[in-house]
Amino acid sequence: MNSLIRLELARALRNRKFLFFSVIYPSVLFLLIAGSADATTRVGGTGLTLPTYMMVSMASFGALTAVLMGNSERIAKERESGWVRQLRLTTLPGRGYVLAKTASAAVVSLPSIVVVFAVAAAVKGVRLDAWQWLALTGAIWAGSLVFAALGVAIGYLASGDAVRPITMITYFGLSILGGLWMPTTTFPQWLQDIARWVPTHAYAALGQAIEQSQAPHAKDIAVLAVFFALFTGGAAWLYRKDTLKA
Amino acid sequence: MTTKTAAPGAKTAPVVGFDRVSKAYGDVRAVDGLTLELHPGETVALLGPNGAGKSTTLDLLLGLKQADGGEVSVFGTSPREAIVAGRVGAMLQSGGLMDEVTVGELVGLACALHPRPYKVSDVLARAGIAQIASRKVNKLSGGQAQRVRFALATAGDSDLIVLDEPTTGMDVTTRQGFWATMREQADQGRTVLFATHYLEEADAVADRVLVLHRGRLLADGTAAEIKAKAGARRISFDLEGDIDEPALRALPFLTTFDLSGQTVRIQSADADATVHALYGLGVHPRNLEVAGLGLEQAFVAITAAEEARTK
Repeated sequence: MNSLIRLELARALRNRKFLFFSVIYPSVLFLLIAGSADATTRVGGTGLTLPTYMMVSMASFGALTAVLMGNSERIAKERESGWVRQLRLTTLPGRGYVLAKTASAAVVSLPSIVVVFAVAAAVKGVRLDAWQWLALTGAIWAGSLVFAALGVAIGYLASGDAVRPITMITYFGLSILGGLWMPTTTFPQWLQDIARWVPTHAYAALGQAIEQSQAPHAKDIAVLAVFFALFTGGAAWLYRKDTLKA
Repeated sequence: MTTKTAAPGAKTAPVVGFDRVSKAYGDVRAVDGLTLELHPGETVALLGPNGAGKSTTLDLLLGLKQADGGEVSVFGTSPREAIVAGRVGAMLQSGGLMDEVTVGELVGLACALHPRPYKVSDVLARAGIAQIASRKVNKLSGGQAQRVRFALATAGDSDLIVLDEPTTGMDVTTRQGFWATMREQADQGRTVLFATHYLEEADAVADRVLVLHRGRLLADGTAAEIKAKAGARRISFDLEGDIDEPALRALPFLTTFDLSGQTVRIQSADADATVHALYGLGVHPRNLEVAGLGLEQAFVAITAAEEARTK
């Protein structure tokens, strides 16, 4: 299986469009949003400055891009082309394909997190303790697994033509509703009530709690755990259905 | 590379065993009570028109589909177990390839996944794709992609090679080269099973031909035997004046007879003998045409003959 992970990774690193959107784009967006903000603007209710707050949002957004966009479209296309069938004629265990996809996406999501951090620290002077940098990286990286599972589920749900629009709607919906592009505190109250239960909101909240030197909130972890169970369960069910049909 | 010998204890198990295997899609019985056995070292063609159930049969053999009834075994185990043991190499009709990687990388992956792999460079050379090893998979022609699929199927030391319509998309020269390569595989003692809808291809390569029609095994024999059965010809001609229908119907080797107006259309299992006898009747046929039947029609003719015989 390592050989497949290596090859998936080599392919992902060669794909400039994918690398741009998952590694460079979040940093660019961070600079656009936080660019004009001075270090004293505070995001309501958090005590964090806008650059500090948006740094976590954009790192989460980058990781989300890497794991969601990479997996869903490739899986749907390769299911259609018959590559998934061809792989079933090898010694690779059934789950190997999905695990290799997820593992290679996770490798790409790490630089997308770290680059946002580097840009925030260098350009906007975001300062945190060493343990906070490490904990943030770990939390955002681990949390991205929830969306990797969602990507796999969409890949097995959608056909080759439908997968891009479905992924895009999911991707923008999650990014905007979860407050990755602008703090949810700027939303009207009814939308804030919805946003609270969106997994990307809980995902970014993990990092923001660490920035506030707090342990992540139990509610956010619970929301993520429930969605993780939902997405992996759905992906596993769809995978089995696809295997019987193929 | 050495010639295969049967593993101890595996003597009794056939390479492939189908025991009353059925598979239906809704009302369509793609495979209908199929029973067959393949033996070590055979090169077998699975011959049939489109929709005969060839691909479904291979999918069942490879464990890609589950049978509704009956049992499929490969080397005495389940298809999946045989694949995991590295005993089966397979090439699917439209098996997709991973794109945006090079041919060499993809074949390297197939070698890495095989328990008894060959050297990547050897596999590439044998499949005739060494010179395009650094080309991206999504930039290949149809024939080149088929060769890459063949390389994936022969990346390691497997005992059974399964190929679903392997020469689709190849030109004549490539096709000949391909079959030469496959002959080598068979000469090393491997069992080779390939699906095709070309009788000529089965004739040139296989030492045993299984004819599949509507999911059932219609014939099982050497290529020569099948050719004799499927070698029916269509004969048509016009006659002037009064037509002696009983005499025409009594012509030898006829399988069908149709008279409309002055035109006679018949099918014959031996066109030479039939036409000879026709002139022997002292009639003067005009616009005489003798044409081969397409494989599909030939199968229908065989089926009709079989049904008539069993009635």
